[in-house]
Amino acid sequence: MGALMMSAADAVAQSSPRIEISGGGIFAGGVDLGNRTAQLTSNTPAGTPSTFFVTGSDMKSAPGVQGRLGFFVTRSLAIEGGVRIARPKLEVSITNDVESAANIRADETVSQYLFDGSAVWHFKGGRDAAGTVPFLFGGAGYLRELHEEGALVEEGAEYHAGGGVKWWHGPGRAIGIRVEASISIRDGGVDAEGRHVVPVAAGYVAWRF
Amino acid sequence: MTRRGASLAALLMVAAVVPLGAYLKLGTRVGSRTESIRWRQFPVRYFVTNTGTTGVSAQQFQTAVDRAFTTWHNVQTVDVSAQFVGFVQAPPFIEDGANVLGFLNRPDQDRTLAATTFTVDQTDGRLLESDIYFNTLFPWSTADAGGTDRYDVESIALHEIGHMLGLSHSALGETELIAGGRRVIAAESVMFPIAFSRGNISDRTLKADDLAGISDIYGTTTANRQLGSISGRVTKNANGVQGAHVVAFNTRTGALVGGFTLDSNGSFVIAGLSPGPHVLRAEPLDDGDLNSFFDTSFTVDLDFKATFHDKVVAVPKGGGARDVDIKVTPK
Repeated sequence: MGALMMSAADAVAQSSPRIEISGGGIFAGGVDLGNRTAQLTSNTPAGTPSTFFVTGSDMKSAPGVQGRLGFFVTRSLAIEGGVRIARPKLEVSITNDVESAANIRADETVSQYLFDGSAVWHFKGGRDAAGTVPFLFGGAGYLRELHEEGALVEEGAEYHAGGGVKWWHGPGRAIGIRVEASISIRDGGVDAEGRHVVPVAAGYVAWRF
Repeated sequence: MTRRGASLAALLMVAAVVPLGAYLKLGTRVGSRTESIRWRQFPVRYFVTNTGTTGVSAQQFQTAVDRAFTTWHNVQTVDVSAQFVGFVQAPPFIEDGANVLGFLNRPDQDRTLAATTFTVDQTDGRLLESDIYFNTLFPWSTADAGGTDRYDVESIALHEIGHMLGLSHSALGETELIAGGRRVIAAESVMFPIAFSRGNISDRTLKADDLAGISDIYGTTTANRQLGSISGRVTKNANGVQGAHVVAFNTRTGALVGGFTLDSNGSFVIAGLSPGPHVLRAEPLDDGDLNSFFDTSFTVDLDFKATFHDKVVAVPKGGGARDVDIKVTPK
């Protein structure tokens, strides 16, 4: 029985792996959501705006977790699906109040879910390679963000592109570490009217079979 | 000059009319509860007094008033309408079962540009009659670009028709004390109790505060599914603050909507809000005479500093963000 299992492991290592599962942590950069001035209409013939107070909104940088499932369609090309969960803070700084109310930073925690799909191109032998394997990837996703009480859901699209490296180790080179960096373009979500670029770094433990 | 006598006149005509909810809305006591006063049937049929004033004929007046009714009618979240029936000899402010708008010489009301009266069925808050007078003590204009040194009929009509539909005054503005009263520096609601200066036509356009108020009273089923609310308290040393002015600002759309705390618990509700993240600001009601907003029996706490809430509040579609606690400190 033991000999049989060893043979199976050898077979995994020696045949081309088709599936890759990975999970780990991410760190997404912050986003400046822009300024918005609360305005009153001044009592002038032109009715020019008069500042009531000024707000500036930021989605702060935040860590998160992510899981990915990949399937090699060729030796070098894999398609992947993933789920990412993060809880960044939406922070609004309020300044320049007309009656000199104290400046303040109001905030709330946003629950952020990203469901995405990617195409991943592997170099240096792709799925069969041992040791270090660089890769490039790109794809799109569905962004779902819930404000703090969960009653308001914001939806948007996400597009991403990046690159990274996998290091395969262990028996049959089936276990690996994957690190990557990417640019994530968010269209919608909490900032329903804008499109923003978010840098993302990620590190995973990966298993291929 | 001000139009702050508008609600007061209304209150005198119908003793049970009370402030209710945000903006404010007008309400009437029915037993132990308060009902919004509102029209139950549209179009509201109205007449115009067949008397003009210097610079404005009855026909020009009616055309300007019709534009103001149309502006309220065009609010997408409500279904209100009015129909001009004809010119009449009868002046406004006579309880005759007809809704009459027109000029009236009221030298006794030397700080009131215009005023609205109501007759209300006090069993259910249903409006039965409403009249509006425009005081000929002041110079009026219906010129497209506004008349030099004259008050704009359409702007003031838009305000008074807001009352006619059940809205009271908004406090969304800043004023300064001048000899004999207050002057508005800036405002962001047609329902602000003090009019812009002569020649100004900015108040021909409804603001977010007005839209929220009218939507709260007459919102369509579709609108009620799309709009949301914020409710909570304003507290000082853990005690409720009565009569605080609370402003909700949508950081996405820039919409400003005001409301009030209306009981000793400091409770407030601001409805008719577009969904999205909001910041909240509480301030003492110090930019208008208190009787522009409340009757004399209502105690208003003015002893606290203008303060922003330290949380971003997300307004959901068709629902409410609840239990917001805005903590303020004494001056």
